[in-house]
Amino acid sequence: MSRRYDSRTTIFSPEGRLYQVEYAMEAIGNAGSAIGILATDGVVLVGEKKVTSKLLQTSKSTEKMYKVDDHLACAVAGIMSDANILINTARVQAQRYTFAYQEPMPVEQLVQSLCDTKQGYTQFGGLRPFGVSFLFAGWDSNFGFQLYMSDPSGNYSGWKAAAIGANNQAAQSMLKQDYKEDVGREEAVQLALKVLSKTMDSTSLTADKLELAEIFLLPSGEVKYQVCSSEGLTKLLVKSGVTQPSTESA
Amino acid sequence: MSIFEYNGSALVAMVGKNCFAIASDRRLGVQLQTIATDFRRIYKIHDKLYIGLSGLATDAQTLYQRLVFRHKLYQLREERDMKPETFASLVSALLYEKRFGPYFCQPVIAGLGDDNKPFICTMDSIGAKELAKDFVVAGTASESLYGACESMYKPDMEPEELFETISQALLASVDRDCLSGWGGHVLLVTPTEVQEKALKGRMD
Amino acid sequence: MECIFGLVGDGFALIAADSSAVHSILVHKSNEDKVLVLDSHKLLGVSGEAGDRVQFIEYIQKNVHLYQFRNGIPLNTAAAANFTRGELATALRKNPYFVNILLAGYDKGIGPSLYYIDYIATLHKIDKGAFGYGSYFSLAMMDRYFRSGMSLEEAIDLVDKCIMEIRSRLFVAPPNFVIKIVDQNGAREYAWRESISSD
Repeated sequence: MSRRYDSRTTIFSPEGRLYQVEYAMEAIGNAGSAIGILATDGVVLVGEKKVTSKLLQTSKSTEKMYKVDDHLACAVAGIMSDANILINTARVQAQRYTFAYQEPMPVEQLVQSLCDTKQGYTQFGGLRPFGVSFLFAGWDSNFGFQLYMSDPSGNYSGWKAAAIGANNQAAQSMLKQDYKEDVGREEAVQLALKVLSKTMDSTSLTADKLELAEIFLLPSGEVKYQVCSSEGLTKLLVKSGVTQPSTESA
Repeated sequence: MSIFEYNGSALVAMVGKNCFAIASDRRLGVQLQTIATDFRRIYKIHDKLYIGLSGLATDAQTLYQRLVFRHKLYQLREERDMKPETFASLVSALLYEKRFGPYFCQPVIAGLGDDNKPFICTMDSIGAKELAKDFVVAGTASESLYGACESMYKPDMEPEELFETISQALLASVDRDCLSGWGGHVLLVTPTEVQEKALKGRMD
Repeated sequence: MECIFGLVGDGFALIAADSSAVHSILVHKSNEDKVLVLDSHKLLGVSGEAGDRVQFIEYIQKNVHLYQFRNGIPLNTAAAANFTRGELATALRKNPYFVNILLAGYDKGIGPSLYYIDYIATLHKIDKGAFGYGSYFSLAMMDRYFRSGMSLEEAIDLVDKCIMEIRSRLFVAPPNFVIKIVDQNGAREYAWRESISSD
């Protein structure tokens, strides 16, 4: 029955659903997950790298986290080739805004502009939607630190803590249980690692399966995007009790 | 009157030993009327790369904004800063893009490259690069700057001496040019730090 | 002939402009308001070609409003000034507008500011500035009597000095002036200085 409405993204099924969009979300459900937590003094992003083969060379410093502008970064879950296109448009959008107004683009405006692009592919001619969900972490002078989540339909919303990718529902409900208001960045990192360790399929959590990035303000008032090194990550994992010091060398 | 002389400007960059300095005047005028005495013509591209834009102020601003746009996207994509040589080619390309309706600017580019080798260069308004080992000048005070630099410059100066030399050359030159002056900005860039100083000169 | 000038004081910025609409040797009217209240906390003083002036400032004003409607936050003064400059610079090499602009604004946490934007789109943040024939006199008066952090009373006194100098020394001096200010309470008309009735 549903097959008649599958072939085109732009057609509603009789039940009022857009199957292609739902399938795209399904695809993201299998991708490596990412968690974002809003803290009082910054935003924390943690992502799970899917290590498909140990022969695979990890070339870049990060493969799930991308800096969009000095004050804004995102974590990705879904099809990376789709994500690269969107990240590039986001970067160009941010620079266009800066070119016009000579100030950084407000976080929500950038998220909105990217989601407009996503939405376009659920409505216009014969193309498939982007199979990507994003977590955006950023800071602007109007609303301070912010965390947004977006899905392939082009919906976005602001969150205090959010999860995308594999087991996102389990992660989301754990975050809901354990999130405390007014947490600092350090606590937020602990919580994110804890949640990720419990929702990830693999048994032991090691630094090479993880990525951690933070956005915070320097004493000078400058916004800083910082990716945690793998040594730093190992230390954090031991500290949070997610892995034993002995297992990490194995 | 040439359109390059509409706002008035003086720009100079000098190479020292593992360092460089770039300096400009502070006047923004409209022909003979002075609008402001705190104008900036030297812009930062990244910690070790600066560009000074002499000539028409509006085109300097437009050009700078377009350069920041392109450099920022480069930084994000490559996850590193641009080399001065690469940046000079970018400036040249942007200028030549407007070959038949140019930006009325003469840029001066100064930066520290790999292993902190100083790089300076200037260009005409359509992007013809002119590399130099010692110093480069631009602006309405360029004739007098050439003279001052020619007689005061020595190779391999230490940062302190370089600062003194470039400052004296600038101040001496703008006094012979009625379209530039009102003190100056000097940036002294070494591998470890950037010193920025405002010069007071003849304030008339 | 055209006279427009502005300055920044303690917690406020102001713009004064003549109010004559002149064509050749004919004065069409003497109560033309050349200082636009751009939004709640911004003033846009414009001199230049009459047609360009109306067209351009309306375009800027509508865009500033559109930004506010779309995004729920107003543009700050610096962003509005850079936007205006950008539009003017783009037009410059296509179909230029002959307009000289003083943009005054007040932002929370930043305070008052004044921007100089001439018709070729040179942008500069200033404490005092002027356009037109009146600038030869008002700039001189402000160089002599302006200091940073002037009270409103002192500033108005200086504006009156400038107007007096223009009236007594400029052969083609306009009769009437309007003064508008912007501070934390918003942008508004402050006073008129009229030497002939404008009714």
